[in-house]
Amino acid sequence: MLLSARQVSRSFGSFVALANASLDVGEGEIVGLIGPNGAGKSTFFNCVAGDIPPTTGRIVFSDIDVTRASAATHARLGIGRTFQVPATFEEMSILDNVMVGAFLRHHHRGEARAAAREIIEFTGLKALAESPAKSLGTPGRKRLEIARVLATEPRLLLLDEALAGLTPTEIQEAIALVRRIHAKGVTIVIVEHIMEVILTLAERVLVFNQGLTIASGKPRDVVNDPAVIEAYLGRRHARDPGAHAP
Amino acid sequence: MIFIGILVAGLFVLYPWVIADDFYGRMGADVLLAAIGASAWNILGGYAGQISVGHAVFFGVGAYLPLLAFTHLGLPPVAGVPLAVVISLGVAIVIGLPTFRLHGHYFSMATIAVAELIRIAISNWDYVGAATGLMGPAVSRTWLDLSFRSPIPYYYLFLVVLACLLLLTWHLQRSRMGYYWRAIRAGERPARSLGVPVARYKLYALLLSAAFTSLAGSLYSLMVGFIDPESGFGILRSVEMIIIAALGGAGTLFGPLLGAVILIPLQTTTNSLFGGGGSGLTYILYGGIIVILARFEPGGLLDLARRIAQWWSRRREGVAVRHAA
Repeated sequence: MLLSARQVSRSFGSFVALANASLDVGEGEIVGLIGPNGAGKSTFFNCVAGDIPPTTGRIVFSDIDVTRASAATHARLGIGRTFQVPATFEEMSILDNVMVGAFLRHHHRGEARAAAREIIEFTGLKALAESPAKSLGTPGRKRLEIARVLATEPRLLLLDEALAGLTPTEIQEAIALVRRIHAKGVTIVIVEHIMEVILTLAERVLVFNQGLTIASGKPRDVVNDPAVIEAYLGRRHARDPGAHAP
Repeated sequence: MIFIGILVAGLFVLYPWVIADDFYGRMGADVLLAAIGASAWNILGGYAGQISVGHAVFFGVGAYLPLLAFTHLGLPPVAGVPLAVVISLGVAIVIGLPTFRLHGHYFSMATIAVAELIRIAISNWDYVGAATGLMGPAVSRTWLDLSFRSPIPYYYLFLVVLACLLLLTWHLQRSRMGYYWRAIRAGERPARSLGVPVARYKLYALLLSAAFTSLAGSLYSLMVGFIDPESGFGILRSVEMIIIAALGGAGTLFGPLLGAVILIPLQTTTNSLFGGGGSGLTYILYGGIIVILARFEPGGLLDLARRIAQWWSRRREGVAVRHAA
């Protein structure tokens, strides 16, 4: 197992955001995390990325216990992540943004620059390399975030709604990019609201609701699971399909 | 670009030959000294984005140690400089470790509090001259006292130090260190996610910044030959570094130098025009600059110049296109 998260819980004060979530990800997999808003997927995601330590539980990445390790250590070990709201370095150029990531493995400026250029080309940002990040729109920023984290040469890539807010065409392009990244041998965990994305990309999904993992399995099976339908559409709706009519 | 650089460097080297009297010589030295202080602050406040309003602490340590070495040990003041740097680094670590846990305004406020506490402590400590301060050697005993009548030797000493500082900053801003600093300034959370050890790199910035600010303080007391708590540790000292850096452009290599070239002559002029009553005017000037910068030009003058140049080249392209059409 590349990643093994066991019984991970996280509380904020008395509020339990995440209870006993477990996930194993094998090398080369694409796993989706889905669930309605506030379901705990982002909390789980942030625990795995090292942004917030879990209250209880254990997270092991390629045989190293990373439960309490810092976000920077996660990056160094090979766990990369993007942010739900793009957190690009606004004043810096796109090339410089990606170079910050590249400096993790390449300590010299020239090597980091060369590595960054290669990734900028791979992610289709070449024409804009010298423009500041703030000149990009949402799709560009999401793409830049992916480029930047790829520059850290991760073995496991955590994508947090990297495709949300994109147009259907942009989504297709983004799906193609994720496939190319996967083809390079990067294992991917993806949080996504858009079912289309999960259904086309993920081999396995984990469904969250109110801090609990309520289902897991193949995407096609999971979307037909009554518990999942209830989580998304509500119990009243699930019991009485006509309830939404006036 | 290189041509402009050589031209400006040439102007700085030749300046003492061009001007005739000591008044302008001293003003030139003051400009360079302010540029050293602001450039030192710029490493932490500009590149790494940690707005310290307590840099007077390092300036004060740097200013006091040489005169302490002279007063208590009879050594040439310059002997206190290395010790001042070492103490400043120690103080930087002691202040930095707890205050770096704070973000944004909270960090700035904590640095003010620390600096003011130290100023009050120094004002009441007889060994360091309490409120009256310390004097340097009245007449030069040996050349090692670095006590000159003319401001010109100081001018060149400061110019060499500034050149070294800018060269070092230039090298760092192009290296991994500089990229990590800018990333931290832009966002600590994403920086961490890319493997930047944020706390460590902030501390590096603080240590470098403190060492050179301390050196600026030492150079000040070597030239002036006198220091008291207000001129060493006063909050105006910290504010001056910030204003100068921000005026020219914080986080740019030459911003602090540009800021010093503009602000120091302005300050000298107001002081000489209004005499002793002019010192209060400095505060008003600083206040006005803060308001104008914050409202209109948060990027400083270099940023403004860059945008004007961009606007101009676009305009010219536009004209060329219209002529072609």
